Amino acid sequence: MGYLLDSIRALGVTAKNIGRKPVTVQFPKVIRERQERYRTSFALLKDEQGEERCVGCLACERICPSQIIHMSSTKKESPVTGKKRGYLDDFTLDMTACIFCELCVQVCPFDAIVMLKVPHEPGYVREDLVLTMAKLYENAEKPLTWGNGTKLMEMQEPPKPAPAQAAAPVPAPAAAPVPAAVPVPAAAPAPAPVPVPASAAAAEPAKTEAP
Amino acid sequence: MNARHPGPTSDRYRLEQMDADADLMVLNFGPQHPSTHGVFRIKLILDGEVVVRAIPYAGYLHRGVEKLLERLTFAQGVPIVDKNDYVAPMTNEQALVMAFEKLLKIEVPRRARWMRTIFAELQRIASHMLWLGTFALDMGGALGGGSGVFIYTFRERDYILDLFEMVTGGRFHYNTHTIGGNRHDIPPGWDREVTKVLDLIESRLPEYEAMSSNNAIFVARTKGVGVIDKELALGLGLTGPILRASGVDFDLRRDAPYHAYDELKVNVATATAGDCQARAQVRVAELRDSIRLVRQGLAGLPEGGINGGKPIKMPQQFKTMTGQAYVGIDTPRGELGTFVVAGGGDKGTAPYRCKIRAPSLHALSALPWILPGHTVSDVVVILGSLDPIMGEVDR
Amino acid sequence: MQGLLRGLVYGGLIITVLMTATAWGMWLERKLAARMQSRIGPNVVGKFGLLQPVADLMKLLQKEEIYPIGADRLLFDLAPFLVTTFAIATAAVVPFSAEAVGADLDVGLLWVLALGGLMVIPVWMAGWASNNKFALIGGMRAVAQSISYGVPLVLTSLVAVVFTGTMSLSGIVKFQIEHGWLALWPPGPGVVAFVLFYMALLAESNRIPFDIPEAESELVAGITTEYTGMKFGLLYVGEYVHTMVGSAIAAVIFLGGWDGPFHIASGLHWMVIKTVALFASVYWVRWSLLRFRSDQLMRLCWLYLVPVSLGLVVFAALWRHFVLR
Ligand code: SF4
Ligand code: SF4
Repeated sequence: MGYLLDSIRALGVTAKNIGRKPVTVQFPKVIRERQERYRTSFALLKDEQGEERCVGCLACERICPSQIIHMSSTKKESPVTGKKRGYLDDFTLDMTACIFCELCVQVCPFDAIVMLKVPHEPGYVREDLVLTMAKLYENAEKPLTWGNGTKLMEMQEPPKPAPAQAAAPVPAPAAAPVPAAVPVPAAAPAPAPVPVPASAAAAEPAKTEAP
Repeated sequence: MNARHPGPTSDRYRLEQMDADADLMVLNFGPQHPSTHGVFRIKLILDGEVVVRAIPYAGYLHRGVEKLLERLTFAQGVPIVDKNDYVAPMTNEQALVMAFEKLLKIEVPRRARWMRTIFAELQRIASHMLWLGTFALDMGGALGGGSGVFIYTFRERDYILDLFEMVTGGRFHYNTHTIGGNRHDIPPGWDREVTKVLDLIESRLPEYEAMSSNNAIFVARTKGVGVIDKELALGLGLTGPILRASGVDFDLRRDAPYHAYDELKVNVATATAGDCQARAQVRVAELRDSIRLVRQGLAGLPEGGINGGKPIKMPQQFKTMTGQAYVGIDTPRGELGTFVVAGGGDKGTAPYRCKIRAPSLHALSALPWILPGHTVSDVVVILGSLDPIMGEVDR
Repeated sequence: MQGLLRGLVYGGLIITVLMTATAWGMWLERKLAARMQSRIGPNVVGKFGLLQPVADLMKLLQKEEIYPIGADRLLFDLAPFLVTTFAIATAAVVPFSAEAVGADLDVGLLWVLALGGLMVIPVWMAGWASNNKFALIGGMRAVAQSISYGVPLVLTSLVAVVFTGTMSLSGIVKFQIEHGWLALWPPGPGVVAFVLFYMALLAESNRIPFDIPEAESELVAGITTEYTGMKFGLLYVGEYVHTMVGSAIAAVIFLGGWDGPFHIASGLHWMVIKTVALFASVYWVRWSLLRFRSDQLMRLCWLYLVPVSLGLVVFAALWRHFVLR
């Protein structure tokens, strides 16, 4: 008898779900909204004067846990500033082994390498998945994510004392009226620019709140 | 070991001593089998449909993570471990990062610790959701009610992954923890999203329970099946929900607090029966408690910096030649421990040895004890109730 | 001669209609299951995915045929063919309306039950001939289950036979038109008999919660593990046809066949509606419940279903003797 009643309850659940809207996102036709911090594929940027930002400092090559970035560079005089700096001769990033750890982006001191919001297109041969320098510079046209080296570093810095906002020991997320679907505006600075002593002071009321 | 569990090496299960006419059949269960949760093989010796002896074989998913961690520096190692327990990557990172922090003596800021708590508990919800789905799948089949529960829980788990994506940008490879804190701060408005998702999950939880853990068929399939008693559980070093379901009131979150658990109250769910039903009940209770913990964590989230160490700039920036550290944390599957010995790599930039204690491996070691006497149908249920993740077992 | 011609024509018609209905029954199931699970279901091939069964058929026809090493080829080939044949042959005696009936046998019900009982032989053949341990266990389970659940199936049908005093399926319907549907009319026992029949039907056609012979999570795919291509398709279709015909028979025995509620607009369409509704409900149950273990199935059958259906038969006899006279 228990079987029967519970079975009827289970039937009720499935019946209820018939009324719910399907959650399927039919991928190639519909593309799910991608978060600001979404990470796939890479691009190399140029600065405002059209100069390559990357100087071939090897920081990303060294940090990469999968060791898939390879480059060579030569020192030349910059046509814009006239100073001597490195220029890439060759730069490859083998996407077949990338684990999207974002470390290469984080360590780049010149914000040269960044990540894209559109995934790399699948290919028929392995070579299609190797991002060459040309492809990386082409990718800069595609929508980029929020992150670059400076911003990621800034986010992890200890908060600097900001005198103007000293009187606001409110938890930052609760105060920010941002539309739900878009968590971070593209250019938002690292949140939590709140005074240092807040870490102790702000938590006190919260602790009593918790039952 | 005791009367109820004679143990795989006892005479009762010696093949040579078995009746030659008993018509035993060897059934290789896995590694390609729909319900071995990955690539896992159990050699079942059957008498009819009843298991006489079970010999588990692990190692089909070995990727040499521990060796890899010796080769990579401290700074590079963190993203590698995401794939160990691929159902709960957050807690993997945390376990490794905390061991490194202890070794390198780096203090984690309070905000980062609270954030880690929230992540860990959200991950627990996601992981237990997936477990409930796959457990029902084991019992109801891919072409039946089980897949219904599976898809419901998967749907809700996806919302949690969306939350993680908002913070870290990844749905699986978060790499959001770094030695000394977190890499990504919580974006504004995130807590409202979390509350929304939690409300949704909480309101729909009774539905899944009606289809699975509270259902009479579920109870009939799980009650009294695969009993692990206290003695066996302790003897095999089982941890997490499996241990708590066997009547041992032990939870690292409460008994050896890390993260922000010293400031939050963790309700440890226990059961005494030690069977599959008890394990299911403990996990569902934990699910509810985690929802509460996330809410509390969000309410009490302090301000401040998120990184106590230096942000990663280059691979060799963390160095130590001396010391060793062990940190165990309570992941959805039990105690995930990381033991590191300093002094590897180039002048101590990497661990000399890094051993990961995977709770699933210990859970699987119970199989030879508890499978004999059950039918093939129960094998699936018992295996599912242990919630093994092969990536973690084989590493 | 004329009878033979009529048989051929009607037989061809039944096979065509039934196979088509089954194909789109599968589509219906997939759509229904998808909606239950917040999915969309087939929607690429044709409008609303309506041509999906055709696409599936094309795919199955193109597949390579594989014989496992050590398989008994004759039995291996024969089994899927027999499963489908038996399933379709059952439909010959089902009265879809007062006129649309292939062979209005006096012992129609017996024919149906006999063929249903025979189904177990090709299933066992498939399990044995595959030379695969999972298939073997599946076959063993199928035999045990079919034999056990055949008993309540026969007993609950017997309730109808005792009530109506006939074994002819159209006779049963005519009786119901006169007295009221058996599922409703002696209030209480009729419903119980119907529910029991329905459960036995689920078990006979290997549907969740009684689908242990092909329990995917345990036995990979049970008896169908080693089958490929159209032979797999035939086993699969055989099951669906079996379910479809079973629903039709349940509609005939307990739900008044082609009789409309309160005799409104009786005719073929009511039979179709009832059959499809029952067919859909089988899949509703399938996609909602978990599965029993084999020993629990046996216990449920022998300890509950069989005694209750025996009681129902006795009740029916008493009712017939004292009330109906
Ligand atoms: S994301 Fe990680 S793995 Fe990929 S290229 Fe950058 S550093 Fe290497
Ligand atoms: S870290 Fe940045 S600047 Fe240096 S080589 Fe890599 S991309 Fe170029």
